[in-house]
Amino acid sequence: MSTRERRERSNESDRFLSQLFLNAVEKHCDGDSGKEIALAAVGGYGRGELSPGSDLDILILHNGKVIEEKLAAIVNDLLYPLWDKNKVDHSVRTRSQTREAASADLRVATGLLDIRAIAGNADLVSLVQSDALDFWRKEAKRNLPELANALSERHNRAGELAYLLEPDLKEARGGLRDIQALRAIALSGAVEVRLEKISWAESTLNNVREALHTASGRGKDRLLFQEQDKVAEILEYKDADAMMSDVARAARSVDYLLDYTWHGLEHKGKDGLGRILQRPRFVTVAKNVSAANREIVIDPSTSLNEDPVVGLRAAATAAQLGLPLSLDTCNQLSNALDSGEGVLPNPWPREARELLISLIGAGDAMVGIFETLDQEEVIFHWIPEWRSVRSLPQRNALHRHTVDRHMVETAVHAGQLTRKVQRPDLLLFAALFHDIGKGTQEDHSERGVRLIAPIARRIGFDEKDIETLKILVRHHLLLSSTATRRDLDDPATIQSVVSVIPDATTLELLHALSIADGEATGSAGWSDWKATLVAELVNRVKKAMAGVEFAQQPMFNQEQIALAAKGELRINLQEHDSGYAVQVISPDRPGLLSIVAGVFNISRLDVKSARTKTLGSSAVMYWIVTPEPHAPEVTESRLHQLISDALKDSRDVEEKLLTRAKAYASIPSIPVPDPEVEIFTDAATDATVIEVRSHDRPGLLFRIGAAITESQIDIRSAIVTTLGAEAIDTLYVTELTGGPLTIERAAEVASHLKRALK
Amino acid sequence: MRLITAILKPFKLEDVKEALQAAGVTGMTVSEASGFGRQRGHTEVYRGAEYTVDLVPKVRLEVLVDDKDADSIVDVIVKAASTGSIGDGKVWTTPVEQVIRVRTGERGSEAI
Repeated sequence: MSTRERRERSNESDRFLSQLFLNAVEKHCDGDSGKEIALAAVGGYGRGELSPGSDLDILILHNGKVIEEKLAAIVNDLLYPLWDKNKVDHSVRTRSQTREAASADLRVATGLLDIRAIAGNADLVSLVQSDALDFWRKEAKRNLPELANALSERHNRAGELAYLLEPDLKEARGGLRDIQALRAIALSGAVEVRLEKISWAESTLNNVREALHTASGRGKDRLLFQEQDKVAEILEYKDADAMMSDVARAARSVDYLLDYTWHGLEHKGKDGLGRILQRPRFVTVAKNVSAANREIVIDPSTSLNEDPVVGLRAAATAAQLGLPLSLDTCNQLSNALDSGEGVLPNPWPREARELLISLIGAGDAMVGIFETLDQEEVIFHWIPEWRSVRSLPQRNALHRHTVDRHMVETAVHAGQLTRKVQRPDLLLFAALFHDIGKGTQEDHSERGVRLIAPIARRIGFDEKDIETLKILVRHHLLLSSTATRRDLDDPATIQSVVSVIPDATTLELLHALSIADGEATGSAGWSDWKATLVAELVNRVKKAMAGVEFAQQPMFNQEQIALAAKGELRINLQEHDSGYAVQVISPDRPGLLSIVAGVFNISRLDVKSARTKTLGSSAVMYWIVTPEPHAPEVTESRLHQLISDALKDSRDVEEKLLTRAKAYASIPSIPVPDPEVEIFTDAATDATVIEVRSHDRPGLLFRIGAAITESQIDIRSAIVTTLGAEAIDTLYVTELTGGPLTIERAAEVASHLKRALK
Repeated sequence: MRLITAILKPFKLEDVKEALQAAGVTGMTVSEASGFGRQRGHTEVYRGAEYTVDLVPKVRLEVLVDDKDADSIVDVIVKAASTGSIGDGKVWTTPVEQVIRVRTGERGSEAI
């Protein structure tokens, strides 16, 4: 099974056909008239590649001067002997008829791009060939969108080659027809197509197709279960899984290049086809990362050694903006990483971890970015363990995806559930790695536990979080299996879960992970029926556990307390990680939190975390902020000035925030789950606890603070945490007169907050 | 011939399957079902939000048997499915006119 054999088969057919053709011409034409006719191969046969069951696509060209009877006789003589041997797809046309046919039918047009003379008048074939190429280039603007439509229609019909258990090698997305389409796009000259990226994929898919034809003795291209073992044996694979894994990898690289090519076509240049390339406009979207031509690039002058996090930053930014990552950027990144440049330290800095979480949590937008990182071999530099599950098939009736894609899909579903848990970062991370232990005979949950710990440690989670992640991976099937197989009325059932899940926070995480895993598996593995049972189990287990923990009020030291007693505004600014730690001590007043948050926002400082508490008539606040690109320089005195002005009159800050909010609205964004507001009325004796879970966005804290002030309540303490792209803000609030809120009042505040955050 | 239909608690499915196999039943159809009987749905309060579980998840099991075996098989199911608490389910039988095995075309008891 090789390109050479397919070529030999094609040559063999050439010899056979040209003999038949020459005999026929000699028999029916006298003297010179043989020059008026030619035999050509088109399509796959035109490229000189034939599998045992391939059709022979031939075109009989004539100059219109041959009389009809003679032509019919020649065609008959040519086709008759072939009748039983091969399936022949033939047409008889003049040059101008061919031109018409091409302009009426896209398949004819693309088939002609591969035309090759077999016998007869070769000049006639050359003319048709240059006609075909001319038409294809000149009419690219019309042809390519039509091609795109035809492709997506076919993809809908045939599904994805990489993820189907019994795929069609030719028709499915990522299959051989897509490779032909890529060639056609390349020939149109509308955009550069890096065909060298799929040469392995093409020969792999062709080899499998050839072996399938040999094994089945038929010309069918659908790789059925029953043929897979035989085909794998012919190709000397270890087993069918190994072969299917190669098929999936090949299909993914084709699919990826096709996606990338379409994106390039849509966004490059003035006329949408890139013949007039304009200088792209670069817009800085994060440190050393820009958007250009509607894709994300790393700024060319960036030193990867100085900023090793930039790759993750580009990926996370792309995912959060819903834009693709530039292929050039990925290539450069991959080459640099290969040569030992820009390697992340172990453990990763906090920023890198946060970015990975933002990437994983971006929902559907993450799938494409992750695929890019996989195809360009970047992800393996960050997470070498990913290689062991790459395109790993699971021959299991429940699953529809390979292991790696299943985990990516699980992360996408988990992205919808981030509001249901207090630690969205742990949920997303566990979702992306829950099946990392697959691929050996060993129990995959057990093996997964061993693998997840070092990954999590490298990425920079602390030991307590690593323990939680280990529990999540080890028990990711526990809830579904217990809920469907054991008696929920039996206290022993509930106890069996309680005994392995330490607290309600972990239980919430495990519940969300089970849902995401189930949904990603497909309808065979998850249904409303199962979801109800699992929810019932979780509910009962939760009752048997202590309540959910939430962030506790911060404690401050003697020095801070003494400063607070003075009742003056004091700012202390220090460098911290890639940003600043800012301590603000200020006389307390309603709306203080949102005023300070607002000042940070208009100073282009991104709030990563905050801990604030009222002490007497002052508030002590400790903020961690990072500067956005193009942020003006920050100094203590400048912040002091801004905050003190805003405390006197906050209208200026509000106006500037509005302007900034408008500017943000023009930046592309991805869909995110709605914010969630939870109230705990019995949590702290002297205050009501409000927990806000939301997608992090500029000005979020200002809005929360403003909504609280509007509700005429007081913030005693606030604990603000950003986990990847998600924010969890815990507020201890009281009535202005002191004391916790009544249940009704708390519900009112919660709904006001929800409306304000929409 | 009779069709035995049983509505069971999901976790009892394995027990019932084993008991039926021990009793010589070789084939059955199982599907996910939800509904309520005297058990009804119940209201749960979760973190302040009230929600009603009006349909309880159950398993529906169907077995075709000869008339003479029906009673004993029903007993096997009831015995294996019982926990003694509310919501254990129900078993009923219906007369069946004809059974045909698709592959061979066999009819009646032969097809069971």
